[in-house]
Amino acid sequence: MSIVGKSAHSAKFRRNRWLLTAILSLYFIYTFLPLFYVITAATKSNQDLFSTFGLWFAADFQLWENLETLFTIQDGIFLKWMANTAYYSSVSAIGAALFATFAGYAFAKYTFFGKKLMLALVLGAVMIPQTALVIPMFLMLSNLGLTNTPLAVILPSLVFPPGVFLMWAYIDDAISNELIEAGRMDGAGEFHIFSSIAFRMLMPGFATVLILAFVANWNNYFLPLVMLNKPDMFPITVGLAQLYSTAISGTGGVLLFTVVMTGALVSIVPVIAAFLIMQRFWQGGLGAGGVKA
Amino acid sequence: MTGRGVKARPRNRVIVNKTIAPYLFLAPFALFFVAFLIVPLIYAFDISLYKKAMVGGVRFVGFDNYTKAFADPKFWEGVIVLFKFAFLQIPIMIATALVFALILDSGVVWAKAFFRISFFLPYAVPAVIATLIWSYLYGPAYGPIGQTARFLGFEAPDFVSPEWILGSIANIAQWQFMGYNMIIYFAALQAIPTDLEEASVVDGASAFAFATRIKLPMIVPTIIVTVVFSIIGALQLFTEPFLIQNMARSVINSNFTPNIYAYNLTFVGQQPNYAAAISFLLGGVIAVASYVFMLAVNRRKDR
Amino acid sequence: MAVIELRDIRKAFGAVEVIGRANLTIDDGAFVIFVGPSGSGKSTLLRLVAGLEDATAGQILIDGADVTHLGPAERQLSMVFQSYALYPTKTVRQNMSFGLEVARLPKAEIKARVDGVADILRLGDYLDRKPRALSGGQRQRVAIGRAIVREPVAFLFDEPLSNLDAALRVEMRIEIAKLHQRLGATMIYVTHDQVEAMTLADQIVVLDKGAIQQVGTPMELYQRPANLFVAQFIGSPKMNVLAVRPDGSALVFADDSRADFGMPVPPSLAHIGFRPEEVQLLPAGQGHLQGKVEVVERLGSDTFVHVGLGALGIITSRMPGNVLTISQGQPVGLGLTMTQLHPFSRDGIRLS
Ligand SMILES: Nc1ncnc2c1ncn2[C@@H]1O[C@H](COP(=O)(O)OP(=O)(O)OP(=O)(O)O)[C@@H](O)[C@H]1O
Ligand SMILES: [Mg+2]
Repeated sequence: MSIVGKSAHSAKFRRNRWLLTAILSLYFIYTFLPLFYVITAATKSNQDLFSTFGLWFAADFQLWENLETLFTIQDGIFLKWMANTAYYSSVSAIGAALFATFAGYAFAKYTFFGKKLMLALVLGAVMIPQTALVIPMFLMLSNLGLTNTPLAVILPSLVFPPGVFLMWAYIDDAISNELIEAGRMDGAGEFHIFSSIAFRMLMPGFATVLILAFVANWNNYFLPLVMLNKPDMFPITVGLAQLYSTAISGTGGVLLFTVVMTGALVSIVPVIAAFLIMQRFWQGGLGAGGVKA
Repeated sequence: MTGRGVKARPRNRVIVNKTIAPYLFLAPFALFFVAFLIVPLIYAFDISLYKKAMVGGVRFVGFDNYTKAFADPKFWEGVIVLFKFAFLQIPIMIATALVFALILDSGVVWAKAFFRISFFLPYAVPAVIATLIWSYLYGPAYGPIGQTARFLGFEAPDFVSPEWILGSIANIAQWQFMGYNMIIYFAALQAIPTDLEEASVVDGASAFAFATRIKLPMIVPTIIVTVVFSIIGALQLFTEPFLIQNMARSVINSNFTPNIYAYNLTFVGQQPNYAAAISFLLGGVIAVASYVFMLAVNRRKDR
Repeated sequence: MAVIELRDIRKAFGAVEVIGRANLTIDDGAFVIFVGPSGSGKSTLLRLVAGLEDATAGQILIDGADVTHLGPAERQLSMVFQSYALYPTKTVRQNMSFGLEVARLPKAEIKARVDGVADILRLGDYLDRKPRALSGGQRQRVAIGRAIVREPVAFLFDEPLSNLDAALRVEMRIEIAKLHQRLGATMIYVTHDQVEAMTLADQIVVLDKGAIQQVGTPMELYQRPANLFVAQFIGSPKMNVLAVRPDGSALVFADDSRADFGMPVPPSLAHIGFRPEEVQLLPAGQGHLQGKVEVVERLGSDTFVHVGLGALGIITSRMPGNVLTISQGQPVGLGLTMTQLHPFSRDGIRLS
């Protein structure tokens, strides 16, 4: 793979290797420090947060106390937020990934009237500012009495245009037309071909879209911010942001500063773990989408 | 032996043919697409044509909200902020992502996989949490940047002052999204067939020349797509300034970006009709910006 | 067991007509080969028969029944694809039984059929493997096996051997010929390969630009090509063609040289064709045309001599064996035999 590797012994090559690795290491420090800060901040008392150096631990190790506060504050509302986030994101992600897969399959493997128009619509949808959608959606759903329900967050999230494009590109590559025609010659109906031949072949793409949709929902802030106003329905993002503004405005007491960072730590650990475990999928899938583009 | 065929098929099964199958496959997505994209858009457009009157509820005012928005300095100030932000953030992010992708692809460095994955990780951190973390880091008293500066004997800049605020937000975006773009470029670079590399080794092209002259041009289409998506993302700026507002009320006002403006108009100002017009106008600005970028790129390509 | 009939079949993709008014009858049990240059519509015509494409106009009949609007499976045909199109997530056995399961055949019968076919194709040892664990030739046999188990009324092949190496291709070609004898089923086969076409076919259908140029046995096409296209498409090296005009009983070539055969010449004659083996090399000065040897190609079994005729171009002569008496640069005469010449009109249509 590496062309330079073939001349791996030249002095110039060795110098470049040191230099470039040093540059990447510097950027790694930049990437890593904020995460490290979360860890140290989550282990400190509020006094220490202000009085000790931010990028190292304080003598007084307060992580367990902070966790206890985090999970007991407002009758354990943080746990509720985590559960809400998991619920909203997983239902939305599974639905969105399935719908995107069906749609991507239709775009990749059929010619039909209106295909170009529909593709253009889906692509154009990416340009619409969130407020342009979420605010009228809020007004509509509140007319239907659906705001402040999980559906208000889940239903709009089932539309995931990037997933459609990714699946389209993936399926186009992964499943040949002849294969589908072989299924037709064998007498299988179109749905049967999809479920018994195609679906297993497009699993890697599906997994990627699932992960991307999951992350997109996990990260979503604006939609739940607008749709939900009962704190016990918030996902973590909205909840933590609210805790933070209470902390900073002083209304909830200075006590909350480390708790916010502890909450941040608790909520990013599972996502980062998931990312590390599933890296095989997202790396492959993002590649497919990116290359096709 | 031949000719017995497989006529045993029971006739009662519904076989969907290939003319209607694509529509059925599209149906679930299309249904939600219409319900949660097209309909809200139409609804938003509809309400943007009305105005809440002091007395007598709402009344139809045609394009009044748009003419008002067009002349609204609060909207255009926000647009200017967005463009400053985009011109600051996107080039730096794309350039670093490209350089890192080329470095990782060339294989010159140690621990390639480690760098690739760790640079990407911030993408998994929700924007809200990234913003919270950085606003702690920016904090004047407890922020480690300020602490370090003081320790070294000078004063750290006020990260949320009017001069620094866009840079501070751009930094959050850089931290979050550089790795995402890098991974996409990396994948595109890896997809370039290796016989091309071998050909150019025979040619005696140096690694650097090979990366910039041969590989880079081959991923230009990918770069263009990511830039368009970055433009669209940057012009929708909301979450970061909305949260940083907590610590910088005087710098980030209620119309800092058009999205914040529209949000405040709806939920604070009780003017959803006008907010809808603002959102549409922002959509127009985004479409024009993306289009102008594509046009500029194509112009250059043709030459 | 099927007679397949195409009546005025047309196919257009959007505004582009790809097949124009094709009429063709394929006899029961015949081995019919579609040949033609790339893009001539061979695959499209085959896919129309298969039901994978819908005809824009016209009718397709199988054993007299109109199947134009039936789906692929209802036509009781099997197809073998160029890429094999095996289901990658299924084992060889599952690949072969899929169509039978779809048709809800009893389990025991499915097993019996698959085992029987695996036997014929020597696939018994591989039944539990996935396609990716098979060689190219084995995959090809699985694809054929999948076609056979369905016991179709006819088989359709789209360049089934083009992904195999030369040796394997010869082997599979023979295997397909044996299969045809054994099953006696109608087979339609698309290929680029002249040798495949000449050796396998009962009937060859020559296509060009979406139109059927000629239908006939390999020998008919070789000996009596219906037009210039077929004349030059069938046979290798290809037929020599020279522009001429008749003058009484003589032919006048483009450079005004004359050849008198002492026989009546059709008045509308515009081109004559002759195969490389239908031209005799003579000492310079003799025969009907004079030229100079440009290139000699020695294949061992044959010698190809390319003779430059000045303004008339280059023609090829084929002689059996390794002819040592001819060398480059040598002036030669060419002898033609009137009865062996293929006469064509200005439009390239065969005369007589
Ligand atoms: N789905 C399609 N849409 C538009 N045009 C098509 C389509 N399928 C085939 N064509 C066109 O129809 C013509 C005939 O194609 P076809 O595949 O039948 O040729 P072929 O004789 O099989 O060629 P080859 O030997 O290269 O396989 C070509 O010009 C091709 O571009
Ligand atoms: Mg073909």
